[in-house]
Order: sequence, then C-alpha cells, then structure tokens
Amino acid sequence: MEALLTAAFLSSLLTGAIVAGIPLLLAGLGEQMSEKAGVLNIGIEGMMLAGAYLGFLTAWTSSSIWLGFLGGIAGGILVAALMALLCVVLRLNQIVIGIALTLGVEGMTALLHHFQFSRTYPRLPAPDRVDLPFLTDIPVLGPSLFGRHPLVYLALISVLVLAFLYRRTNLGLTLRAAGEKPAALDVAGGHVIAIRSAAVLFTGGMAGLGGAYMANIGAGLFIPYMTGGAGFIGIVLAMLARGRPLWVLAGALIFGAALSLTTALQVAGSNIPTDVIQMLPFAAVMLVLVIWGRRARLPAALGVGYERGAR
Amino acid sequence: MRHLLYSIPLAGLLAASAMAADVNSIAILTPEKGSDFGWNQQGVDSAKAAGEATGVEVVVADGLGYGDVRAPMRELAAEGVDLMIAHASGYNTAAPEIAQETGVPVAIVDTPDGLTEGLIADYTLSGHEGAYLAGRLAGKMTTTGTVGIVVSGEPPSWNSQSAGFAEGVKAENPDVKVLYAVIGPAAYSDAAGGNRVTTSVIAAGADIIFGQGNGSSFGMIQAVETNKATDGSDTLFIDVIGDKGSLDKGHLLTSVVWDMTPVYTAMIEDLKNDTFGTTGYAISLSDDSVKLLKTPQVDAAAWDEVMALRDQIIAGEITVEPVFDAEDVRSLVTVTE
Repeated sequence: MEALLTAAFLSSLLTGAIVAGIPLLLAGLGEQMSEKAGVLNIGIEGMMLAGAYLGFLTAWTSSSIWLGFLGGIAGGILVAALMALLCVVLRLNQIVIGIALTLGVEGMTALLHHFQFSRTYPRLPAPDRVDLPFLTDIPVLGPSLFGRHPLVYLALISVLVLAFLYRRTNLGLTLRAAGEKPAALDVAGGHVIAIRSAAVLFTGGMAGLGGAYMANIGAGLFIPYMTGGAGFIGIVLAMLARGRPLWVLAGALIFGAALSLTTALQVAGSNIPTDVIQMLPFAAVMLVLVIWGRRARLPAALGVGYERGAR
Repeated sequence: MRHLLYSIPLAGLLAASAMAADVNSIAILTPEKGSDFGWNQQGVDSAKAAGEATGVEVVVADGLGYGDVRAPMRELAAEGVDLMIAHASGYNTAAPEIAQETGVPVAIVDTPDGLTEGLIADYTLSGHEGAYLAGRLAGKMTTTGTVGIVVSGEPPSWNSQSAGFAEGVKAENPDVKVLYAVIGPAAYSDAAGGNRVTTSVIAAGADIIFGQGNGSSFGMIQAVETNKATDGSDTLFIDVIGDKGSLDKGHLLTSVVWDMTPVYTAMIEDLKNDTFGTTGYAISLSDDSVKLLKTPQVDAAAWDEVMALRDQIIAGEITVEPVFDAEDVRSLVTVTE
C-alpha cells in the first residue's frame, strides 16, 4: 500500500487521469456540436483514428508536435467531410455510414501503418510541458494538474468557449435550431445543410485532435486500432451532457480517473479480481447513465436528414 | 511363388504410402499483420520456416482482426489447404466449427482440452521457463528493489509467463517487490493505455518492466524510454515472444523469444502420419524454441549466471511448472498487507 502513498505515484495517477481524459473530452465536445445540429455522428471513432494516424505521421515527419496536431485535425476533417457529404447532403443513414466510415478508416490506417511503420515502429520523444507559475509548486497536485502540455490547457479553454457559444451567441441558437426544428431555421433564412455540415466538420476536427493527442502525447506512437472505442465513449459523454460542455468535461475526467484508479488498485496489490477492477470505468459510465441518463434530452431532429419542403 | 513373396512387402509399402496423408499447403491466420515483432510475426515467420523445412506451401492470411474469422477460413478451405493454423485465442470458437464443416484440420491455441483426432489440435504454448530466467535476471539487476509486470490481457500463455517471471524474481531475491497491472480487458492495441499504466508502475518504484502486450507493448516501451526510475536510474524493458532488438534505444534488457517452427513442423509431420489431433504441442529451452535475447544492457556476469540456470532447467535440476490461471498469477505478485 505504501507504493500508493508516494508523491510520484499519486502524481502519475492524476497525470494518467488527464492523459486518458483529454482525448475523450475533445471527442465528446466535437460530438456534442454534431448532435446539437441534429447529426448523430457515429463515425467519430474513425475520425479519431484518422487523426491519430495523420497526427502522428505529421509529427514524425516534421519533428513538430504542433504540426502533428494540425495533421490530426486535418485527418479528422477529411473523414468528417465524407460523413457530411453522405449523411447531411445526400441524407443517407447516419448510423450505417458512421459505422462504415469507422471500419474503412480502421482498415486503411492499419494498411498504411503496415507499409510505413511496421518495420521501424518510430516513437516520438517525451512531450514538452508548460508549468503554470506558482500552481506547479503545489505538492503532488501541482505538477500533475498544472505542468501539462499546452494542448491540455487549450482543451480546457475550449470548454468555456463552447459553453459561451451555445448559451450566448446567435450561432449557438442556430445550431440548436438545426437540431430541434430545422424547417423553422430554413424558413427563418438559415441554411440547414451548411450549418449541419459545418458542425460535422467541427466534430471531425475535434475528434482528430483527440486522436492526435492520444498518439503523440498519450502513446508517443501510432498503432492500428489504437483508439480502442474512445470515440464511442465520447458519444456517450455527449449524450449524457445534455448539451453542456462542462458536463462533457466532468464525464471525461471521471472516466479518466476511473481508468487511472484501475491501475492504482492493481499496483497496490489489491485482492479484488482484475476483472472486477477493469469494469470500474464502464460501471462508472453505467452508473451515471442510470442516475442522469433518464433525464438526458436529445435534439428532436437528431439523426433525421433534412430535405427542404419534405413532409 | 517367388513373385508372390516379393509382392507382399511391396503391397505393404504401397499401402503405407496411401495411408500417409498428402500435405501440400497449410495456411496461417493471424489477427494483426505479421510485422509486429511479436506473436503475429513469430507465427508467420515460423510457419514459413516449417513450410520450407517440410516442402509445404504456406498461405499467410494476416491482419484479419479479432472478430469473426469464418469467412476467410471457408475461403482457404475451398482453396484446398490441408491445414489452417488459427493463430489467435479469439478464433477458438470459429475454427473448430469450420473444421467440422469443411473437414479441413485446424490448429488452435489456449484450448488444451479441444483435441479431436484428425481434425483439431491445440498448441497452447508457454515460455514460462524463459520467463523464469528473465525473472532471475531482473532480480539480479533491479536497483530499486521493485519490478513490474504489465499485460494487455490475461490469456493462459501470457499468464504462465507472468507467473514464471514472478517466480524467477522471488527465487533470485524474495525481498524484491513484483507489481502487476493489466491495462484493460483485451487491450492488445491500446498503446496509450500501455504507456499510461507503465508510467504508473514505474512511478510506484519499478525499474524493470516485464511487458506482454502485442501492439500496446510499444506504448510500454515508449514509457520506459521517457521515464526514469524513482532512484534516478534508467528503466529497462523485458519483452516477450519477438525480438525487438532492432528497435531498441538502449532500454531493452532482454526478451523471452519464441520460435514456433518446431511446433508447426511437428503438426505437418503429424498430418502426414495421420496422428494430428492426438496430442498438444510445446516449446522449451532445450531446443531453443524458447530462449533469452542477449542485449548490450545485460550485465555480463548476471547473464552467465542465468545461462547456468538455463542448463539446470534443461537438466531437470530446477523445475518451473506452467501456471495458466490469472488468479494464480496474482497470488505470486506483491499484495497489500
């Protein structure tokens, strides 16, 4: 048990919660915008994976982690553009297309990885960290919470920006209208297809960034299928958050902390069976679903394609 | 009458050759590409080597994923392969079904009780003796007095190696702590999880990590490369199954390398002799199908001592029993008092 009481270990646990939570936060925030605009973006897992691959490829070839993040955003947007074309413009089934895109990206990135990296498995160096003055001096908590890569702070700031956007701006209102009553938005002069397409592209960018964070910061390398369902957890977080970015943040951190806790319990040599310990993060999500899920309210036109004049 | 006497042994010879099955081609099916420096690559490379040794064509179907493998197995059966090696524990349900359906023999893993004569054989391999030696080496070389085992799943063959490693560490020095962490349920590709969990185990004091993880093991290696031990020394990594020496940046202590060539060669011979499915297959130190990799990070004196222990195992002076159950593994690692 004494292994758990060292500053280094507690610090690594908090760090683990953040490292695991940030990709979920970015994906969840992206998914939230799609859902607000009425598009159920099941393809987010594929967008994350495309972002992880292109983000790593860019970071590796340019030796710049920031260019890597831009590459990740581009990768996510590339897949999202297909989703927007097929589901928003052509009104094909959002669930079928989302799953198909995810499977397609899984196969494509595995194939590309095989030809590019499978003989060398290149790895990135440890990421730079930015220490926030004074705050990093706080014992244990300081280095873990306030000595992170700058993207962590940008992700947290984006929560506030999106909360402001949804609550205080016309754009936020327009997004909600596209998801609740797209016909009314159309009558009012709004362009439903454009708004929904932009929301899907934003989702792709955020999911791609989350994937790039996972590859470049979380792992330091790209491995096929490495997102391992993180995109689907992002969808759950967005649905539970009922349109509130702060709730997405809370959910992502709870899940990340639960993941980190599983490691802590095992390293402590707990006698609880590993299978039970491994269930904790998923049990936490299910618990949240049971408590708050019933009150979750989804946009009225979610998942329904919009066609002007159709009844 | 003389002709009749000659014809009797000749008829016997012809009958024997007719009894022996023709084996022209075999197929190996793997969930990931055969370029992972681990389980998949060793399987593919060993199948090719066995094919070359026995004059049998080898068809490689790799990167099939962990899902339903029935469709590619039916295709391979239709193409006329004489044996399908289903090289993943996740194929253990589908492969026997396809064998029954098509009549083409299959080899599966992690199912020692699943033998069916002429049709289904099992090769639940265990490198526990090699892992034991790796544990002895770790016990000699740890500077913090704590080592860690990180795995991305708990299949029987990995459990036996985890147990062998823990037993080796304790045999070398009972005071060394052995930490144990599973990344997640079947987190074979979770490189970020491998990195995160390994970082935590290092922070808890481990300076040598025994990692079993397929793709996720590269995340473990990245964690070892970017984190110092709690005493400020470099952390070291012990790999399994494959040889990642060409990727090493100075942190690979050793690897418990498997060579499945003797196993697949024996399968082909059993097929030819109509004894396939009557027994399981094993790898061992004695024929070098299990061996430790020597790297520049290994202390020379410690290596010599470990090689002496290897000879003792081969001679039967030290016995390392395989432990396949995850619960039994946990009983061997350091537990909270």
